[in-house]
Amino acid sequence: MSVLVLAASQSPKVHLTSQTRIIAAILALAFMALVLELIRRNRLQERFSVVWFVAGLGMLIGAAFPGLLSLVADAMGVRDTNVALFSIVLLFLLGLALNFSVTMSRQATQITRLAQEQALEKAREQASSGENGSEAKRERLQS
Amino acid sequence: MRTLVFIPAWNEEDSVADVIADVRASIPGADLLVIDDGSVDATDERAREAGALVASLPFNQGLGAALQTGYLHALREGYEACAHLDADGQHPPAEVARLLEEIYADRADLVIGSRYRDPGKAESDDYKPTISRRIGIGVFRFFLTLATRQRFTDTTSGMRAANRRVMAMFSERYSPDFAEIESLQLAVREGLRVEEVPVRMLERAGGSSFLTPVRSAFFIFKGLIVLLVGQFRPRHVGASER
Repeated sequence: MSVLVLAASQSPKVHLTSQTRIIAAILALAFMALVLELIRRNRLQERFSVVWFVAGLGMLIGAAFPGLLSLVADAMGVRDTNVALFSIVLLFLLGLALNFSVTMSRQATQITRLAQEQALEKAREQASSGENGSEAKRERLQS
Repeated sequence: MRTLVFIPAWNEEDSVADVIADVRASIPGADLLVIDDGSVDATDERAREAGALVASLPFNQGLGAALQTGYLHALREGYEACAHLDADGQHPPAEVARLLEEIYADRADLVIGSRYRDPGKAESDDYKPTISRRIGIGVFRFFLTLATRQRFTDTTSGMRAANRRVMAMFSERYSPDFAEIESLQLAVREGLRVEEVPVRMLERAGGSSFLTPVRSAFFIFKGLIVLLVGQFRPRHVGASER
C-alpha cells in the first residue's frame, strides 16, 4: 500500500527520495511481520498467508528497486507508471476478493451439511429411544 | 413401498401439529419427519408431541437446506419414495397422497403439486394472489418454461413427491437460496421425468408469507440470475442412482 501511495505522488518517471523509499521498506517489513505474528497466534492459517507474504515482498521490492516499476509499465505499454501500478494492485485485490467469496461459498456448503448431519443424527437418536419413533412404527406396519 | 413424508417447518408452532395429524390420517403407511429449520418458537416440541420424528437444524438455513435434509434422510434410510409439504397447513395431505400415486406407478421421477387447475391462468378458484405475486408467477413460469422446454404452472410449489433418483440428486445438489425453481431446472436438465399434478390448496393456517413487494422484486431478479446460470451448469448424467 505504501508503495502505491508513494508512487501516486510521483511524476510518470519514478523518482523516489531515499527517505520515502526507507519509509516504504519499513512499512512493507512491518506488514510482513504482522502476517507472521498472526500466523504465530493462530489467527491466520498458513495456507492463507502465502498471498499476503507475496504482497509484502512485492512492496519491499518496489521500495528497493523503484526502476522496476517503469520497466513493468513499459512492458504493459502504459506511459504513466502510476496507472500501471494502480491497475496491477486493483486486479490483485479483485482476484483476492473473488477468491474469498469462493472460499466462503465452499464453507457455507460445508456448514450446511454439518448442520444437516447433526440434525439427522438427533432424529436417529429420537427414533431409537422414543416409543413413537419411526422404526417402531414401521415394524408395526409390516407385522 | 416405503415412503417418507417430510415437513420443513420454520416457526410454525401453531400449525405443525395439525399438519402432522392430517398426514397421519391421509397417508397412513408413510413415516414422518419434521425438519425444524432453526425455529425460535416451540415448533420442534409441538412436532415431537404430535409423535413425529424431528430433525432440528441448529440454526436457520433456509428452505432449500431444510428440504435437502429431508431428501438426505430419505436416501440414507432407504426409502423408495418421499414427499414433502409445507407446515403452514396450505397443503392438504390427501393431495400429497395423489402425488405419491404417480411415483408408485413410476409415471414420473419428480411430481409437483400445482395449485392451478387451469394451466393458463395465474389464479384459481381458491387462490387469488396479489399483483406483485402474479407478476412473479408469470415471469418464473415464462423463463422456466423457456429454460426447460417443459410447461410448468406452479414453479414455487412446496408440495412434491420424488423417487430415489431424485433423492440421490437433491441430497447432493440443491441450491440453498433458490430451491424450488432451480431444482426443477436441474431435474429436467438431468433428464428426469418431472410431472405437474393439479392439486387443491388451502389458505395458510398459521404464519405469514415472507413476500413484500420489494422482496418480491429482489426474489424475481435473483431467480432469473439463478436460472440463467443454471443453464450453463455442467450436467452429471449417470450420477443419479436407480
